[in-house]
Amino acid sequence: MIKFLLKRVLEFIPVLLIISFIVFSLVFVAGNPVALMLPEDASQEDIERLTVALGLDQPFIVQYGKYMLDLVQGDFGKSFRYNTDALPLVLERLPATLELAAASMIIAIIIAIPLGVWSATRKNSSLDLLATGGAVIGKAMPNFWLGIMLILLFSVTLGWFPVSGRGTIAHLILPAITLGTGVAAEMTRLIRSSMVEILSQDYVRTAKSKGLRNFFVVYKHAFRNSLIPVVTITALQTSTLVGGALITETVFSWPGLGQLLIQAVNTRDMAIVQASVFTIAILVIFMNLLADVVYRILDPRIKYS
Amino acid sequence: MKTGTAILDVDDLHTYFRTEHGVIPSVNGVSFEVREGETLAIVGESGSGKSVTSLSIMGLIDSPGKVEKGNILFEGKNLTTLGKKDYRKLRGNEIAMIFQEPLSSLNPLFTIGNQLSESIKLHQKVDKKTARVKSIEMLRHVGIPRAEKVFSSFPHVLSGGMRQRVMIAMALSCNPKLLIADEPTTALDVTIQAQILELMKKLAKENSTAILLITHDLGVVAEMADKVVVMYAGQVVEHTDVYTLFSNPKHPYTKGLLNSTPKFHETEEVLASITGTVPTPSKMPKGCKFNPRCPFATEVCTTQEPVLREVADGHKVRCWLYEEKEDAI
Repeated sequence: MIKFLLKRVLEFIPVLLIISFIVFSLVFVAGNPVALMLPEDASQEDIERLTVALGLDQPFIVQYGKYMLDLVQGDFGKSFRYNTDALPLVLERLPATLELAAASMIIAIIIAIPLGVWSATRKNSSLDLLATGGAVIGKAMPNFWLGIMLILLFSVTLGWFPVSGRGTIAHLILPAITLGTGVAAEMTRLIRSSMVEILSQDYVRTAKSKGLRNFFVVYKHAFRNSLIPVVTITALQTSTLVGGALITETVFSWPGLGQLLIQAVNTRDMAIVQASVFTIAILVIFMNLLADVVYRILDPRIKYS
Repeated sequence: MKTGTAILDVDDLHTYFRTEHGVIPSVNGVSFEVREGETLAIVGESGSGKSVTSLSIMGLIDSPGKVEKGNILFEGKNLTTLGKKDYRKLRGNEIAMIFQEPLSSLNPLFTIGNQLSESIKLHQKVDKKTARVKSIEMLRHVGIPRAEKVFSSFPHVLSGGMRQRVMIAMALSCNPKLLIADEPTTALDVTIQAQILELMKKLAKENSTAILLITHDLGVVAEMADKVVVMYAGQVVEHTDVYTLFSNPKHPYTKGLLNSTPKFHETEEVLASITGTVPTPSKMPKGCKFNPRCPFATEVCTTQEPVLREVADGHKVRCWLYEEKEDAI
């Protein structure tokens, strides 16, 4: 297991190199930020001076080399807007995003597992149709709309939860539901189809023929087998939750990474964009690694190689 | 012939599947009984309803299938009206089952030991430690070497023959009165087949377990069975003891099956076959269901369905050929 983990961690290096190259190239083609940093009536001379000062007059390869040199020292450059190092700014926002992602995932799992298993065991019943239909609606609802509706109902009308911001559990509930609904919908459908397939397997029949209670047949023998595709999607979805909570964070003024990233893109604060994208990329890689480890725990047939 | 009391009495069993394409009568009026310590083989092609019969006895027919009519009496208890909880107490305990595919019949994510001790813990109400001891004992009993190691192994590291031995150990772990074996050797190669049959025979004899053997292999029938039920299109077409079946088969279908089995001492190069295929439920022929494939079919066969009639002591046949003879006497 340790050998496997070590190997996987070493595999990160080329992936991170490629990501750094893509991130840097995107920023490079996005254009010169100097124009945005100076007042509109700045003279040509001022522009040139700042360009040289920031090293933006150098050729691409030189700039990339410098960038990489700084990067390995954990330096993503200074934010133009905040005039401080970009990475600490990003890392400061990370806990809020992780908190929201974790809460959404917990909500999604709590809904999706029983609902998916339940509709698989009652395949084609009206309750199953209701659950799968509900999942389609859940998936189809845009986050911004759901978020606003939840705010209108539970914050404005009923006054149960705060409208926006972060701090208490109460602050967390509405954004987590907004973000978790889509994930729950997708997971429900996946667990259902996975379970339908597994329930027709011979070993499920064997389990029934032993006289086991239906609960054990379903949750011990079938459910664990149906988890492999579910783990894959959960890992991918968690990465999306971390990186893609932009809209939800904006609707609820949630001080997370998504909000920071959107502001940085708007103001062409490239150091922050780079640091954010890089951080999200590492999280995605980490989630994939975690999924690989979970597969190996779940299924003894998957060898460490 | 053994004269034990009947522990399983299947009477006029009808199991239907109600699908979008109409009602499929997979099992249509099947009756037979299995006596204590006896082996009854159900023989037939794919789609003849033999597996559905066995699953009906286990109470494992899934929706849209249903036992529509008839009784299944196990030691006098009617299984068709038995509650779910009581059925579970019976399954894996008094009636156990072995399936065709040892490869896919074991759960890949749990150790052999986990799966084996599961039913011992459940039915014999023993603790984990005792269940482990009993499981290892059972593995040894079915001829598995290094039983402790196998106990903690996962199914995928075992060969097909070993897995089927594990299945047998699992099925016999609670000393069932009836063992249903659905094509237990079909997926195994020939040398292993013989070993597995031998093992089943030995263990069944030790505990006087009755066996209901589902197979399409007449070699297996000759090896194992005391009595034989030949099924065709959801019905019993011939029911007799194993000696009579091979020496004096009556039904043209049974004769066809026997003729299409290669024989050791014959040098014929062309193997006889029964022309045509088993009819699909939607295209079930009128009259005798075998008439389109029967070389002896007469007019009455295409219009009226024959009944299962006793032509000699303990020998029943569903065929107009013998119906007429009876009438003539």
